[in-house]
Amino acid sequence: MWRTNVAILAVTVGVIGFYTAVAHLIPQLQSEVPAAVSLGSGASTEELVAAGEQVFNQVCTACHGLGTRAPNLLTDHAGQGPIGQRCAAALGERCKDYLHRSLLSPGDSLLSGFQNIMPVMTTQLDGDQIWAVVAFLQSQGGEVTVSGSDLEAAGGGEGAAGTAPGAAVSAPAGGTTDPRQLLTQNACLGCHPIDGAGPPIGPSFDGMGRRLTAERIRRAILFPSADTAQGFAQFAGMMPQTFGTQLSAAQLEAIVQFLAGRR
Amino acid sequence: MTDFLPLLQAAADTTGAYGRFPLIGARAAVWVAAEVHLMFAAFVLGVPMFAVITELIGIMGKDAKYDRLSKEFTRLLVFAYSATALWGAMLVFLLTTLYPKFWGHMAQIFGLSMWIYVGIFFAESFTLYLYYYGWDRWKAGRAKWTHWGLGLLLNVWGTIVMFIANGWLTYMMSPPANVTPETLPSEVQLWNALANATWMPINIHRLIANAVFGGSIVAAYAAYRFLAAKTADERAHYDWMGYVGNFIAISTFIVLPFAGYWLGREIYAYNQSMGITMMGGFMSWLWIIQAVLIGVLFLAANYYLWIGMQRIPGAERYTPYTKWMLLVLVICWIVWATPHTMIATREEQALMGGQYHPLLDVLGVMSAKNTAVNVMILTTFLSFLLYRRANQHPVVAWARSGTAIQGAMFALAAAVVLFFGVRGYFVEDIVRIGFSVYQVLAVLACIIGVTVIDIAMLRGAQSRGEIRWGHMPARSQYALFVLAVTFTWLMGLMGFARSGIRQHWHVWEVMRDTSPYAATPALGYAANMISACVLIFLSLVAFIFWLGGLAEHAMAKHGPAEG
Repeated sequence: MWRTNVAILAVTVGVIGFYTAVAHLIPQLQSEVPAAVSLGSGASTEELVAAGEQVFNQVCTACHGLGTRAPNLLTDHAGQGPIGQRCAAALGERCKDYLHRSLLSPGDSLLSGFQNIMPVMTTQLDGDQIWAVVAFLQSQGGEVTVSGSDLEAAGGGEGAAGTAPGAAVSAPAGGTTDPRQLLTQNACLGCHPIDGAGPPIGPSFDGMGRRLTAERIRRAILFPSADTAQGFAQFAGMMPQTFGTQLSAAQLEAIVQFLAGRR
Repeated sequence: MTDFLPLLQAAADTTGAYGRFPLIGARAAVWVAAEVHLMFAAFVLGVPMFAVITELIGIMGKDAKYDRLSKEFTRLLVFAYSATALWGAMLVFLLTTLYPKFWGHMAQIFGLSMWIYVGIFFAESFTLYLYYYGWDRWKAGRAKWTHWGLGLLLNVWGTIVMFIANGWLTYMMSPPANVTPETLPSEVQLWNALANATWMPINIHRLIANAVFGGSIVAAYAAYRFLAAKTADERAHYDWMGYVGNFIAISTFIVLPFAGYWLGREIYAYNQSMGITMMGGFMSWLWIIQAVLIGVLFLAANYYLWIGMQRIPGAERYTPYTKWMLLVLVICWIVWATPHTMIATREEQALMGGQYHPLLDVLGVMSAKNTAVNVMILTTFLSFLLYRRANQHPVVAWARSGTAIQGAMFALAAAVVLFFGVRGYFVEDIVRIGFSVYQVLAVLACIIGVTVIDIAMLRGAQSRGEIRWGHMPARSQYALFVLAVTFTWLMGLMGFARSGIRQHWHVWEVMRDTSPYAATPALGYAANMISACVLIFLSLVAFIFWLGGLAEHAMAKHGPAEG
């Protein structure tokens, strides 16, 4: 019987060893935690680009490096060159804001032929990481215009990177309290229609004052997941949770009063 | 105040959140405890399913052989149950000491369900003891039905326990959309957290997988007893038991991919990036390993059936077909195990002449793979059908046309699978994904239709001779060991896939893993861990088998009263 036992043991260990060997023969890819970025306002362009490349490789390549699910950003797309080149050619100075908005509100910048599958990146990355990725994308054939001041505005250097998702996202450029400008800068119009136009991913801003009180609107901006508007259940969870830290009190009130007044 | 929030949250994330474990580290310790517990749990949940089925067959057919088989299954359960509970307790202790913050989060949300879980676990344990120790007391008449009812109740308790635990782990994968990092655990509704997006697909997938796993372990037990048997009667019994265990494992395994498709679809629907990480991101190579394992499963299962046909009078008429079935299986295996999506550097892409390798680009796509796996399922089903019909001669008047219809069903299913496989190369991604549903439906329809016809056609069939149970070469039994080891390893691999797609999150996009083990390891490391878990589990199972033999030996020597 001992021979049988040895044979059974040999078969068992042999089979396990075979599978283990196969697993070691294939490429070894580890899924890293997105690299923390804490460069601060004095960060150089090279530092920003290097940090962005690291984050991009860890978070973005699964889709943007393979070219079938999402536009390939590092190589040519539709004969227009890599992302930095084509973005700069099409948008010039506005390229930086476009790329930034694409990460905060991806559905807003959807290219034809691709589905709206990209998550809002504030759920994965903090403000500094997002700006670093923007710098890296600009460096792909274009001029990098992201600077340390962008990070500073995003709450950079506070050491929150990689630990507090969504806690330190960028503040809108400038301290404007113009509600329309704020709605544009914060990519609200990427989901909420206004003046009868725009994608109906979130409830329309038209007539919002008739439907909701100022208090409800304020709560909906600060805690978007607390309530879901009727008919928008399929988009629940899409709205960033970060406006409480992103907007100043004056900016928040400007938006609330503007929307409450739209009857 | 808001300026300090990130700092406060960062501090809260790390202070006292993690404990240390010597030598292997906290993650490896929890990994081993969770995986071995899960393997035992799958065994003790899977075996009762067919214990009650075989007992029912014994009652209905008045065949004591099935009753003995059912009792033998259950005896293994009694020993395995203690091991399950021990490893479960170890897992809880490790989680509370090594991941206290995470465990506190879970306990705050699921506390009530944890108490219910313990209560039902008690009920399950006592039902099992009543079921096993009452076997000889309640063995006739109405009492026998009551006994069978206990077996049924055992399954009900087991299923509820599994569903509750699945709610916890699926919450980690797919928490409800309204749960965010800012949500306090006390604000999360229990039912909302339990009944999350992937809960029911995992429930169904695990229910089927447990039956597969239980069947394969029982078949391995029978193989061991067959090889150790000293009499022809013993050999015949364990040969038959091995066949039944393998039959249950493979027949339930055939439907498992369909549950897998559903789970995959729900993961994509819940979060596209999670689905992409699973299928096309750093885990894409995991599916190549899975293909290797499942290829081995198909080959070993078919090999066992083909060898088994040697003990069936009349089966020789099917022997010429086996080499063709083998050829089909091997070709399909090669296609299925062909990699496609690879994360390559720019230099590697330049060497390949593009994003994809020219050969792999053709064979490694889902159209080819789906076609391959469906053809493998059809081929294995054909093996079963030939095995089942080997010693039977149908006497119904419509036998010839019935067989022709069965053949047409196979041909039609294969044609549908091939058509959509080829067509998939010429359509958009989104259209192609939908094609897999048609392929699956064609195969399922074929399996159901052919089986129904076969059952009707073989009613009252003439026998070509009795199956010579026990007349099996020893090598056939090693195929059963290969199956059991492979199923166990596969379970470990799929556990890694399910858990690994959360990446550096304890709870996806709600609670970040900030421990030193937050990165999700590569497949080589994962394989080492899986192999260690499988070795620990199989060693303990071997011990249980040995104990089972001891108990039987004692009963045979002194009678059941002392056993």
